[in-house]
Order: sequence, then structure tokens, then C-alpha cells
Amino acid sequence: MNFELDAAQSVWRDEVRAFLRENVTPELLAEVGEHRTTLLGGEVAAFRKKIGAKGWFGLNWPAEFGGMGLGPIYQHILMDEFEYWGVQGPDLTVTSVAPMIMRHGTQQNREQFLPPIARGEVRYAVGYSEPNAGTDLASLKTRAELDGEEWVINGSKIWNSQAHVATHEWLCVRTDPEAPKHRGISVIIVPIDTPGVEVRPLITWADYRTNETFFTDVRVPRTNLIGQLNEGWQYITGALSLERGALTNAGDFRRHVDELKELVRLPLEDGTRPVDNAEVRRAIAQLDADVEAAVLMGLEAASLLEIGEMPTITVTVAKVFTSELRQRIADVGTRIFGLAGALSTADPAAPAAGRYEKLYRNAPLMRFGAGTNEVLRDVIAQRGYTMPRLGR
Amino acid sequence: MDLTHSAEQLELGAVARSLFTRECPTSLVRRLREPGSDGLAPTLWQALASAGIFGIPFEEKYGGAGAGQYELGLVFEQAGRALCPTIVYSTMVFGLGVARLGGDQLKSRYLPDLVEGRLRASHATWNPSNAADLRPRLSALRVADGWLLSGRLLFVQNAQAVDVLMVTARTSVHREPQRTYGFLIQPGGAGWLARALMTIAHDQQSEVVLSDYFVADDAVLTGPDGTGLAEGDLAWLANSAIALQCMEMVGGTAAVIEQTVAYTKVREQFGRPIGSFQAVQHLVADMRIALDAARLTATQAAWWTGRGEIANRAVAIAKMKCNEAYKWATLNCHQLQGGMGYVLDTDLHLWSSRAKLTELQGGTTDTAALWLERESGLI
Repeated sequence: MNFELDAAQSVWRDEVRAFLRENVTPELLAEVGEHRTTLLGGEVAAFRKKIGAKGWFGLNWPAEFGGMGLGPIYQHILMDEFEYWGVQGPDLTVTSVAPMIMRHGTQQNREQFLPPIARGEVRYAVGYSEPNAGTDLASLKTRAELDGEEWVINGSKIWNSQAHVATHEWLCVRTDPEAPKHRGISVIIVPIDTPGVEVRPLITWADYRTNETFFTDVRVPRTNLIGQLNEGWQYITGALSLERGALTNAGDFRRHVDELKELVRLPLEDGTRPVDNAEVRRAIAQLDADVEAAVLMGLEAASLLEIGEMPTITVTVAKVFTSELRQRIADVGTRIFGLAGALSTADPAAPAAGRYEKLYRNAPLMRFGAGTNEVLRDVIAQRGYTMPRLGR
Repeated sequence: MDLTHSAEQLELGAVARSLFTRECPTSLVRRLREPGSDGLAPTLWQALASAGIFGIPFEEKYGGAGAGQYELGLVFEQAGRALCPTIVYSTMVFGLGVARLGGDQLKSRYLPDLVEGRLRASHATWNPSNAADLRPRLSALRVADGWLLSGRLLFVQNAQAVDVLMVTARTSVHREPQRTYGFLIQPGGAGWLARALMTIAHDQQSEVVLSDYFVADDAVLTGPDGTGLAEGDLAWLANSAIALQCMEMVGGTAAVIEQTVAYTKVREQFGRPIGSFQAVQHLVADMRIALDAARLTATQAAWWTGRGEIANRAVAIAKMKCNEAYKWATLNCHQLQGGMGYVLDTDLHLWSSRAKLTELQGGTTDTAALWLERESGLI
């Protein structure tokens, strides 16, 4: 047990911080704020190129795949710092899709799909949910049938975030409709620009753009199948675990609490300062303590991965805790400034430029997304304590 | 003691409910949120006037029904279900203010028009973040035949769409003590500057800056004996408005719970309706428990203020319960409706935004708890 970064880890954190201090510009942050609803402009693309040049898109990959071979703690430190600065670092493409290709892909899959990811040239959207297969993902119906040397794909995916800016789809399909529902699923990579793929926007309460993506007689080479036929369920459940793992960082939470501590010292319209109010101080202290716990959960998950264990329960606990904590941070951030807390990002007088009003609208997503908290509480009880299963 | 409604009260609620269902669909609510909307809803407005809703709490001599302010609360509950535009509330609170604070001349000038639906109005007589803070934000300087008002008002509802606005100001007259007077002013004209505020609920709120804005003597509320408005009357008006807003919040809470329960009965995952899962049912049960607490405390506050009482304790408790019930109901309904309830194409977010706004409007739960602590002698 050691709660301190060692010398090499500190050097790594300082390197990441120095990079962010130099490259996170107001222009970049402005574009990040906009990019939910509009196409990417030059700032984010240029920033991604810089990350790629550092080799950080492959930081956790083995050297044989062109990666830096750094462990989960290093990955965690990097993600944490990126979140603190409010910019996206290595995304699901690198943290989730690429490891699955390494672990389960054929040699040809690896040679074909990994190098462009490492260079930061491609971006994957993850196509799992369908209108009638959300929490019950294994009921998915998008169909892929083999026709000679090509897969022919028909169906649709929903909550297909990033599809409008992605180059490829990591697509979950049914390849054997006769098999039990968990058995007939495969993963196929589909370039987004393939004829027959149509991406339609869905705008959420948080102004965040996600998509519904339709596949009509979409043809891709047979070799775009990842790993083995009908083995997709175990690949994607692994990817979901890693995805949840990636969500357990709390860098943005720490930033919010640090920022709130400063903001409450400024006088309100009526001349009072929130910090002079005991309830406000207590609310922030409570958030501070909860964020500390969330940070430790993320570090524990990274530590378990470091020693080769899949931290399923830890990341599940962390996902439930952090998603509900995000809601509380947003709630506190919108109620300690009086009615001014209702002002949105569109109003120049909004406290913290409306970031907490926006976070308030953003927070519900993480409670039901990536596994609803109800199902994850079942997982904690049933897998964490081998309690009996009822229903589902 | 009888915590059930009379047949007439039930009938009024049912009439109001069907009126709002018919005349205030979410398509209207969405249209009023659009940038550039004036927040007016002429068809709904006409329907409310025709149904006699605007006259409910006012004396018959001014064209009202004399049915009581509590009955207005029952209408606000139904209005909250339908996300009725705020101009209805702000107009009615103005009317209650004139009825309580005004003399016969001002009541005769405004109330008959208001009852007939010919007057839209609003008010700024307390701190919008803390309804117990009644200190005027404006100063009034004595000039010939009237007063010059100066100062800045934040979060004035519908300021740019109404015919008349009730504000308070501290007078400044040589050799006289400072007094709080009420002023009934027409938006616009010399010395008036307004800026629309962008809120989470896209409702019609403005920042208003007055600079030497002239008000004639015949539009001034000077209080019972001309020495200023009684603080108790202003407190009663603020508390009445909060109690009525709590009724609105109760209706909104009930509406989102019912919509969400209906969704969980038809949304199937794992081969069964998600509403059959205990985790879902417990969340629904918890929302219902919070709703009952909110409903009972809000109706109590509306009843006491409706009888003319200041009712600080009842109002504080109602605001505390309604803030949390409405907010958490909307957030938990997002949880149960998942992605389907999170996109702008579906309607839940309309209530979620309103819930957050009304939570902050007049006082957060912490602020209302301070009212209760003060009332209880704890501070």
C-alpha cells in the first residue's frame, strides 16, 4: 500500500501537466464547448494531433503494437489531468476498442486496425444500444449476413455518440438469430463512409449531440469481423467494463470543487458572499470528501488492473457513486448563487459562465448511461456478495 | 379539521385540469421557449378569462368571483402540471398585491381589467433569491406630482411583455423618515432599460434598470396611513406568491411521476415491463412519498396565506418540501426514462428545467430552512 506517486509517476504527471498548460488554449476550450452540436473545427483536430505525436494514444498498449507499454496507473494519471483541464484525451477508441482488438482480434485485425488508431488518424463510434435493446443489450437485432466475401448489414443503433465525427463504427451485430441471445452476437468494424450508413442527430437536454445510425444493405469485407464469429458478447462486455473503468476518473470533479471554493468567495448581487453561509461551506466540504472517495475508487481500480485483476466490482461501485456525485455537484453549483444559478451559458451574467447549469443538465446521462445504476446495484449485490438473483 | 376537498373544490380542479390539457399543450410550452418569444399565449389567455379563472380570488365589486385565494392555488396546481406560462402567475400575484395594498381607486383601476383578461402584469417586491428579504432595490426621489425611481431589479418575470409592474422603492424626502412605497409602473419609456435573462427554463425574466423613471402620484401605494407599506402586508404578498408557486410545483411533480410510470409500464427490457422491477418501483414509491409531503405542506401554506395570514412557518416548510420533491422527481424520472426521456424531442426536460428554476426562485431549501429557523426562534 502506498498513497504517494513514486518518482517516475510524479515525473509523468508533471510532463502531462506541462503539456496541458502549454496546449489547452481558450480557443481550444471554446471549441470543446461547442463541439457537442457542431462539427469539429481546427482546434480539437490540431490538439489530437499533438497528443498523437506524444505517442499518448498508445500509452497503455504493448510495445509490439507500437504503444508505450505504460500501466493503468500511468493511464489513470493522464486521464485525470486531461479531465481536470476539461479536454478529451485518449477516448474510447484507444481505451476500450483498441484493447479489445489486441486481446480478441485476429492477427489480420491487429495489423489492419491498430496502427491508424495509434497515429490518431481514426476515431471509432461504439454501436451497441438499439431502440429496444438498451439495458437489455443482448436483445440487439441489427443483422449481419455473409454474402460471399462480404458482410451485409441491416438495422439501426441509437445513442451512437460521436458517430457524426467518427471515421469507423465498432458495431455489435447479430450473426446467428437461432442461437440463444448472448451467443449469436459478433463485432464488425464498419467505416462510417460506407454506402448505406446514415447518421441522424439526436440532441439531448444537455445540448449534447448523440445519434441514431441506420444501416441499410451496408457491405464491408468479411475480414472486418473482429476475432471469432458469434463470440462478440464476451468482447463487448469486456469493453464495457473498460469503459466503466475509464469513467471512474474524477479529475473534472476535483476541478469543480476547487473552482467552487474560489467562486463562493465572490460577492453576490445582494453583497453577501456564499462562503459566509455555513450551509454553503458544509455542502462544499461534503462534495470535497465525496470527490476524494471517488478519486480513491479510480486509483484502486487502476491499481487492481496494474496487478492483473479485472476490477469489475470496484469500477461498478465507482460508476454508481461518481454518477450520483456528479448530480450532487451540479445541484450544489446551481443553488449556492441564488436565482443567478439558473442562468445558462447563454447569459453573460451567469456564475462560472453557466458551467454548473450545464453540468446539471448533463449529469442525468451518466446515471442511466453505460449500464443503469439500478442494474449496476444488482451487479454489486449479486456479484460482489453472491446474493441470489431475482427476475432479470 | 378536514384535509379533504369539497365537491366544489374538486370540480374546480377538474375544470382547470381539462382547460390546461386542452389549451396548454407542450407544443405551446415549446413555442414560448423559443428565442424571441414574448411569452404571451393569447388563446390560452382568452380561455382562462372566459372560464373566469382570473377573477377567482377577487371581490365581486371588482368583477371577481370572491371564491378565495386557496381556490386559486388549486388552479395553480393544475397550471403546474401543464407548465402554464409564467405570465399567468405574475399577473395573479400582481392582482393579489393590488387587492391587499391598494386603495379603492387603484383596485377599481386595475382589478376589473385583470379579471376580464385585459391586463397582463408582474411584480418585483422581494428579493427573487429570498422572498423573506423585502428590502426595496429601488430608491424614490420626490419631484413635483410624483417620484423618480432609480435602481436595478433582477429576475423580473415578463417585465417586457406586461402592461403594468408593481415595484417597491425607498423614499428619500428631506426631513422625512425613509419609507417603503409601492409603485405601479408601465414598462418602457424614459429611464427604463431592460435586458432579457437566459435561464435554464427559457422563461421570460429580465434585468430592469431604472434611471430617474417618473411615476405620477396616482400610481403610488403609500400604505394605510400614507406612511409607507406595512412590512406585514409585503411579507404576506411574498408568502402568498411562494405558496402558490409551491402549488404549481406540486402539480409539476405529480405530472412527471405519472408520465414516467406510464412509460415504465410499456417499456420492456429482459422480456418484461421495466416497471415490474422492484428497483424501479421503489424509486417511484420514494417520489410518491416526497410528493405527498410536498402536496400537504403546499396546500397548508396556500390555505393559511389564502386566509390572509403571513404564515411564515407553513410557507417555509412548503418551500423546503416542494423544492426537493420536484427537483428529485424530475431527476429520477430521467433515470427511469433513460435515453428516451433525455432527448429534446421528448417532453420531460421541459419539467426538469422548470423544477430547477422554481427551486431557486424565491429561495432554495437552505434559504427556506433559514426562514423556519428564524420563525422557530433558533436564530
